[in-house]
Parts: sequence; structure tokens; C-alpha cells
Amino acid sequence: MMANANLITETTSPAGAQLETWRVNLFTRWPWLKRLLQMRSFQFLAILPNLFLFYLFLIAGVFGTPVGNRNIIIVFVWILWWFMLIGVMVPFGSRIWCTMCPLPFFGDWLQRRAVVKVRPGKSPGTQNTFFGLHKRWPKRLSNIWLQNIGFLFLATFSALLVTRPIVSMIVFGVLIVLAAVLALVYRLRTFCNYVCPISGFLSLYAMTSTIELRSVDKDVCLKCKSKACIRGADTGWACPWNVYMGKLDRNNYCGLCFECVKSCPNDNISLFVRPVATSDVVLRGYDEVWKACIMLVLALTYSVMLLGPWGTFKDWANISEKGDWRGFGMFGAGQALLALVIFPGLYYLSIRLSKWYARADAVPTKELFLKYAYMLVPMGLLAWIAFSVPLIMVNGSYIVSVISDPLGWGMNLFGTAEFRWTPLWPEWVPFIQVPILLAGFYYGVRGLHKVAGQLFSDPVQLRRSLVPPAALLLGVTVVFLKLFIG
Amino acid sequence: MKLKEAASVLAVVLVLAGVPLSLWYWRAIAVRHRYPPGTKIITLTAVADGGIWTQDQVVGFNYWNGKPTRTEEIQLNKGDNVVMRLRSVDVLHSFAIPLLRVGPVDVPAGHTVEVSFTASRAGELTFLCWQVCSPDHPGLHGRFLVSGTEEPEEEEPWDTTTERGDPSDNSPDTAPPSSVPLAHHHGAGEHNHAQ
Repeated sequence: MMANANLITETTSPAGAQLETWRVNLFTRWPWLKRLLQMRSFQFLAILPNLFLFYLFLIAGVFGTPVGNRNIIIVFVWILWWFMLIGVMVPFGSRIWCTMCPLPFFGDWLQRRAVVKVRPGKSPGTQNTFFGLHKRWPKRLSNIWLQNIGFLFLATFSALLVTRPIVSMIVFGVLIVLAAVLALVYRLRTFCNYVCPISGFLSLYAMTSTIELRSVDKDVCLKCKSKACIRGADTGWACPWNVYMGKLDRNNYCGLCFECVKSCPNDNISLFVRPVATSDVVLRGYDEVWKACIMLVLALTYSVMLLGPWGTFKDWANISEKGDWRGFGMFGAGQALLALVIFPGLYYLSIRLSKWYARADAVPTKELFLKYAYMLVPMGLLAWIAFSVPLIMVNGSYIVSVISDPLGWGMNLFGTAEFRWTPLWPEWVPFIQVPILLAGFYYGVRGLHKVAGQLFSDPVQLRRSLVPPAALLLGVTVVFLKLFIG
Repeated sequence: MKLKEAASVLAVVLVLAGVPLSLWYWRAIAVRHRYPPGTKIITLTAVADGGIWTQDQVVGFNYWNGKPTRTEEIQLNKGDNVVMRLRSVDVLHSFAIPLLRVGPVDVPAGHTVEVSFTASRAGELTFLCWQVCSPDHPGLHGRFLVSGTEEPEEEEPWDTTTERGDPSDNSPDTAPPSSVPLAHHHGAGEHNHAQ
């Protein structure tokens, strides 16, 4: 590794998950950022406005108008927040949403009996005092399968979730309660790590992000005796995500709470800027591969359901209005089948073909299956962004009216309550979606090429191994293009 | 650090208590202060599914299960100044009180529309949804029971052509004269006045 004050270039990380790239140390460039993130109250101050908003959303879900486009919980969460999350925060801020997410706030509070201060102590495995039962999460659930299934389940009911304030309220209310209960029973952020359905896809797509929190010098971590980042210290809590910075080489499971920045005795943690969709390119388990498949398929089915011209699909999904349980069953089962069996099956087939075409008998199928799945990550993220573009451009004007009348009670706080629905340049939507999708294809294939470079030294074999998975990715891109531009 | 911790806890408590208190204040007190003293403020919510105008709250938690079904009968005194805060929780409705020549005014889904009028005649005055909004549209009516003595008064013409009302849909006992202007609908910040 070579380093100067600002710019560090790496060849590979110790675990081989990062490829040759550049990165800029933001703490060196902007010392004020480091001071800000070292403030004990930083995360609380980031959460507080969202706690206020989410509390208002929950109240609006119960006592506000049942008309979705006039209720702040629907408009802010499913139009504004969703677009900001998928289109801005994840690509440019990794899991920065987790920094400010209010869902685990009460769980943390109960577990730490502190909002900003640190409690030194000796709770098992840490140098802090935690309250609650402090149990270990079962090993066989220490993956993102629960998050995969949870997200797929919620997505099946998305027609209810994104239109009915009370349904959104119930879901977020349950998540807050669940986070608090799990924090009392299990240690650290079990809810965020293994249960939260939002966290599941953030973990996957954060791989593409342009920022990363890492140790400046991994050797310093390996020599560090206190391991304060994962065990905690007087100045910071043990990593709520149970991440040891000495081995962290992907964004997936770092929730950017910045406790390690506060607790590191060697001042060895920093925030880095890096190129988009280039650095973390390795999926490490079937749970992650299936997450990538599920998210891509859901982007597809959502696009069919919400943007496509097929009224039948909309009616099937819209169980509450239409009451067609048979159609809804077919929709739910079809979506699950596509996400869990058919698409992963197609991907597996492409891997088998890849192995055969490249004569790559020496490379285990499992390794190829896991490593090449990265191509689905940038493709999936950019497909979701492309899907979300019309939501914000066509329905974004609801934000203007709802901000003045958040519960549909007839308030007019900022004089914009009667702002009419005004789609923003809807005729330009396809012109924005197409380059986004093509960028997804490009970054997918580029990632594939980089991963293949780790596996094959023979350029012919390398190129041949790319053909079947790249063809699958091209097919996916064409289907999306067909959906978006007809 | 103790001070920061206390301030943080206080901030959380302020949020948890402040949000519902602010909403309650707006709903129970601030709205009333927008109108002259003595004004009767009546909030009516139109529900297409089931067909009803109701004074009860129809909100997130009871819209899908437990909507009110009682037809409204609202007591007024002759001469009362009334502000109607009209809401729709589903589709576009249209509100009218034919015998007072109030409306029709559009009530779009999720919006609150205000109409003010003076109860200038005594008796039973029907209010209703002026346009066919749903299969349960015929149920969208109610009555003002205005007490006081009735005096003969000169008829003024009433125009429904500027609004969405469809005069062909009128039943004979509520059909207004078929010409001349009436109120526009406004958002909750402003209101109509029709007498």
C-alpha cells in the first residue's frame, strides 16, 4: 500500500475484497469533519430530527387522513425518503442512513441507559456496560436471510404499504418495538444486523458507495491490543455492528455510527472517498447472492406493477381495493418464485455455462457463483434508481402540499397546502432512466471483469468466462429498457 | 457530559410530548381562533364507501375498519353563522345545501374545504353530495335542524353552473333553480361565504 497525506492507493485488501483503486482520506483533507464525528453527541443530533419526523409519521398514520398522497407518512417515506435513500444516500453516503435512523434509537437507549455518554465496564466481550440480557444472537441466524425474507414479504404487500398510512404506520411501529425488544435480549445492534429489512438491501448496495470508513493502516490495527473499535473504550461504545476495523474491507456491515472513530486509541480510523462501484466487489455468502437476486427481481416487478401498462398485475397486487385473493396469491407466489428460484436459477445456469465455455474446471462453481454475483449489485441499485426517478419526478409535488398539511387536517403551515399535483418534466423520465440503466449494465460488467481478473490469469479464459453472465445482465437490462421506454 | 446527557434526554422528551401537544393545540384551539367569536364550526367528512357525511373523525385507524354509519342531524339556530370544514377521505365529493343555496363546492380527496353561511331560514335543511361519487352516493346526505320562526323571503336565483354539480342528478325536492352563480371552493386557509 502507498500512502501520502490525502491519497492512498491500494492493490488488494488483506481479505481480497477490494481491488486496485484510489481513495482520499477525508479526515486529513477536512479536519473539522473528524472533530464533528468524534463529538459524542454527533449521532444523537443526526437522529433527533428523524426521530421527530418518524414520530410525526406514526401519528399521521393513525390520526391523519387515509388518503395516501395527502398524508406525510406516505409522501415523505415512500416518495421523498425512498428516493433520497436509494438515489442519493446509498450511492454517495454508503449506510449514512443508518447513522441517522431512528428505528433502533429506543433499543440503544434501553441497552446503554445513555443517549450520548459512554458507560465503561465489563459486559461480556466488551469494555462497556450494557443492560438487558446481552445474549448472543444464534449463529445460524447470523446472516441476512431473515432480512431477505422480510423484505420480500413486505414487498408482496407493497401496494398496501405505500398507499395506506395505517399500514406504513404499523410496519414502522412494529420495527421500532422489535428493535427495542431485541436490544434488551441480545447484544449490540442485532436488529440492524440481522432483522431490519431496510438494512438488508442497504448492506448490499453500500458496496457500490463512493465513501468508506476504514482503518488508515491495517497493520496498526493488527498490532493494537485494546481492539477498542470492537470492544469499546471509555471514549466510545463497542461497535454496535460487531465489526473489527482491522478486518473490515467492505461497506456491507458497517452502519457508520462512528463509535470507532471516537474509541480508536491509535487515531487510525478515517472516512475515505473512493470511486463508485469499484472497491467492494465480493459477495461472501449465498444470503448475499440471493439478496442481490431478490432486489433485482423486485425492481422488475415493481416497475411492472407501478409503471407498466398492465392493469391486471396492478389489480392482483392491490388486494385491499380489489379483493382478488386468487390473483393476489398468484402475484405473491409468482414474485417469490421469480426472486427465489427462477432468477437465481438463471444466474446459476449462466455460471455453469461460464465455467464450461472458459474450460474453468479448476475454479469451483461455488466460488464463481459467489464472486460473479457482484455484477447484480450495481445493476440492481441503478435499476432501483431508474425505477424511483418517475416516482419523484411525477409525484414529488405532493411533498410541497403535504409539508404544509402533514396530516390532511386542513393546516396550511407554509402556505402550500393547496399546491396542485405538478409532474416535473415527465416527458424526460425515459431519457433519464435509460442512461441510468446503461450505467448499471456498464458497472456490472466492469465489476465482473475485475473479479474475473482475480480468478483467471489467461485473458482468453477470462473473457470467455464473462460471456454467459454478461449476456444474462444484458438480458436484464433489455427487459428493464423495454419496461421503461416501451 | 452529564449536562449533555440531560439535555439530550430533555430533547427526546420534548419531541415525544411536543409533537402530539402541538397537534392537539392546533386542532382544539388554534382552528377556533381563526373565526369570529360565536361562529359555529362544523367539520363534516365525506366517505364514499358506505356513503356518509359524518362529524366523527375518519382517519387512518378507523377508515378501513369501523367507519361511522350514523346519518348526521345537526342542530342550528336561525341566524347562526356557520363555518363548514368539509373533508373527503376517498374520492372527489361535492357539497351543497340547496335550500340555503350553499354550494355545490368540490371537496377533493384528502383536502379540507371551507364554506361559511348563515342559517337564514328555519326548518329541516338537507345537505348532500352533489355529484355521483360512488355506488353509495345516495347515502351522502344529512340534515340541519334549524330552530326559529320561518318568515317568507324573496327568492334569489342560484347558479350551479360554475361548479362541478350536475343539475340533471338532482332529486325534485332538492333541485335548485337552474341558473346563476354561487360559491367557489377554497382551501382551508380561505373560505366561501354564501347566504
